[in-house]
Amino acid sequence: MHEPAVRRVWTRILETILFFAAFEGALFHSGLYSSIVEPVSTTGFMELQLRNEIRRPKANRNQVLAVGDSRMPLLPRVVNEAGGDYTFATMALGGTSPRTWYYALRAVDPHANNYAAIVIPSADYNEPDYFDDPSEREADLHYLIGRLGLHDLGEFPWTYHEKKAQGTIFLGMILKGTIYKRDFVEFLDHPIDRIAKAQYYGHDSAGWYYVYGGSDKNLTGLQIDWKQRTIQAPDGITPSERNQIQAMLFPPKRPGKGWETAYLRYWYGRIVDYYRGSGTKLIFIRVPRAPLPPPDEPAKLDSAVRQIASQPNVVVLNESLFNALERPELFWDAWHMNRAGMEQFSRDLATAVGRVLGTPGPKS
Amino acid sequence: MLFNTPRFFAFLAIVLILFYSAPRSWRKYILLAASYFFYMSFIPKFILLLISLTAIDYTAARWIARTEAPHSRRIALVVSLAANLGLLGFFKYYNFFAANLAHLFHEPRGAFALSIILPLGISFHTFQSMSYVIDVYRKEQEPITNPIDYALFIAFFPQLVAGPIVRAREFFGDLYHWQRPSSDDVLRGLLLLFLGLAKKMVMADQFAQIANAYFRDVIKEPGTVAAWSGVIAFGIQIYFDFSGYTDMAIGMAKLLGFHFPINFRRPYLASSITDFWHRWHISLSRWLRDYLYIPLGGNRRGRFRTYCNLMLTMLLGGLWHGASWNFVVWGGYHGALLSFERMFRGKESEQPTRWTVLYPIKAVSTFGLVMIGWVFFRATTFHDSWYVLHQMFFVPEGRLLIPLWQIELAAMTLLLALFEEKKDWFEKVTLGPAWAYGAVCAILLLAVELIGFTETAVPFVYFQF
Repeated sequence: MHEPAVRRVWTRILETILFFAAFEGALFHSGLYSSIVEPVSTTGFMELQLRNEIRRPKANRNQVLAVGDSRMPLLPRVVNEAGGDYTFATMALGGTSPRTWYYALRAVDPHANNYAAIVIPSADYNEPDYFDDPSEREADLHYLIGRLGLHDLGEFPWTYHEKKAQGTIFLGMILKGTIYKRDFVEFLDHPIDRIAKAQYYGHDSAGWYYVYGGSDKNLTGLQIDWKQRTIQAPDGITPSERNQIQAMLFPPKRPGKGWETAYLRYWYGRIVDYYRGSGTKLIFIRVPRAPLPPPDEPAKLDSAVRQIASQPNVVVLNESLFNALERPELFWDAWHMNRAGMEQFSRDLATAVGRVLGTPGPKS
Repeated sequence: MLFNTPRFFAFLAIVLILFYSAPRSWRKYILLAASYFFYMSFIPKFILLLISLTAIDYTAARWIARTEAPHSRRIALVVSLAANLGLLGFFKYYNFFAANLAHLFHEPRGAFALSIILPLGISFHTFQSMSYVIDVYRKEQEPITNPIDYALFIAFFPQLVAGPIVRAREFFGDLYHWQRPSSDDVLRGLLLLFLGLAKKMVMADQFAQIANAYFRDVIKEPGTVAAWSGVIAFGIQIYFDFSGYTDMAIGMAKLLGFHFPINFRRPYLASSITDFWHRWHISLSRWLRDYLYIPLGGNRRGRFRTYCNLMLTMLLGGLWHGASWNFVVWGGYHGALLSFERMFRGKESEQPTRWTVLYPIKAVSTFGLVMIGWVFFRATTFHDSWYVLHQMFFVPEGRLLIPLWQIELAAMTLLLALFEEKKDWFEKVTLGPAWAYGAVCAILLLAVELIGFTETAVPFVYFQF
């Protein structure tokens, strides 16, 4: 007996949807594809960091994890080799921001009980705006695509404000293939090589990151006139490096719309909520800002970091704690510390964190 | 509103919902309104041109049918043909002739040029319209009395801008005896829609990146390997682009209860150039045969006239594609190849593909000859065409421009084409179990998601003709 015509069509449409969902789910929602994603890519770097941190042996809960972007100068090796009560690790990754840190922390610490403290950096406690609204950064989806699940559809897309971005993100989280598209095409070109590369990075990259010591370059001799917005570059700096330093130190006038604070308030809040009642301390620090200390500005009291300081388990360290490290010989460009700077910063941070956490108890 | 955009799919969904939820007597009005809306989504003002041509041809056909006087009938036919060819000539060929005239009188190239935008689909709807008026003149087609019906025949959105060129009797047969599509037809339509989308976005748009890069600056990539890979990339692009569009058009028509003729039948499997033209842009070949080649005498007036007729038909067919000497040469090249085949193989060249041991050699040779023709079709200038041909045959080495994964993809589509040719997998999937249909559709959609070029919606190549 023939199936009724309408049922016949709908059955096949349903089968199409089911097969599509099965293929999409098996490839991209299972973590299968993110395990062979190009390691030297936005998603690849993030996945490596997360996998390395998840795999890192943790003998006890005396673990201190730093998040951050490329300006977070912590070298865990320097601290750990010096010995101490706490083991340090970092998941800092260039281009990331608190939205990605929240989801990264959720991935490495699913029960919010792995760490004694999380160190969260701020470039400026006054939180000036940058040139666009940080909540609209679609790149965050690319960092996190391997970690976002369908259960995140209720929150993640709606943390973007523009309708178009919300639609793109929503669709990208369901159809992850659209986000992996370029990577997938590259994968097709050399699949065996890619799998080998992903395995190689997966196996060895934790060691590379751990022994990485930072750049040996420095800016000794740099002079900055903050008022005139000019710099005098040291010898040995190329014109393009000079221009880059100038542009990083003196960006064009910023919008001043409060985007940054609104964004940080939301995502710092999400991190604080995640660790609420967990016993994990959230330690906010201001990282060394520039090769020479910028002029002081009046404190913006309603900034996200200052407001969050009153929350339990949150410690906001004195913003001038690392001012002494704002020296040209400790930086290799306008924002980033060099090897000597990173080593000094790591030691100072370990001391400050140790002071906050105190000596761990016997059962820790 | 290109077929390969989410906006078009939203439009199609709305049209389908309105079409099937409306009373039957309203449906053609819905389709006509949707078709005009679709056409106006490109350049709205050209709707006046479309409506004017529709009105002229509708009236001319009525006039031809109403009178028995040969003189009057002929005048009506000439008025209709003049209107169609005149507008086509003006919009499509004016600047071509102006440039040649300027060259002849040693004037600057743009001396007589006008700023003209080509109305979308004019080459297709004028040919469709002319075929109707000629058929009425030949008394092979009853005139259409309802102007709405005729307007829908000309403007029907699935085939308005790039064919297939549908015959009046085919279209009105469906319109006047409309039946709700069977479940098989709905499934065929959906599968064609997905297949066409995959052909366009996965194959055509990806290979277009290579072809465009190569032909943008042919001197940059010297050598035989580079030239052949650039040309083959274009050959793959144009086939999948146009046949993808056609598949989508036929699929949409099926969903609306209309049956369009097939327009491509795996042309790169052809074993001769004659066979190629039986498989490539079939609706245009059929039009040229019925309204140009046969009226010229076809093959009934001796061998020499046959070759001349073939040549003239193909030259005009080439010129139909675009106003440039390159298209004329392309048409002439195919005309010459068809004439040679007829000269040496006689009527044997008309035989369909035979799967003998020699087939692979014949198919590869035909493919090679077709690719050589595409050089004239794609190169920007005559000079570039000769340069590329020189590279293809006389400059060894060069770089392979097609990445490995795209070669593998092309090989997979070749296997699918062979499988379709021998085993008719499309029909087997449509009529087969639900899981097979679902799996095939899902794979096509997944390919669009993963490999489809989505950075921008790339217009279909044949939209410019």
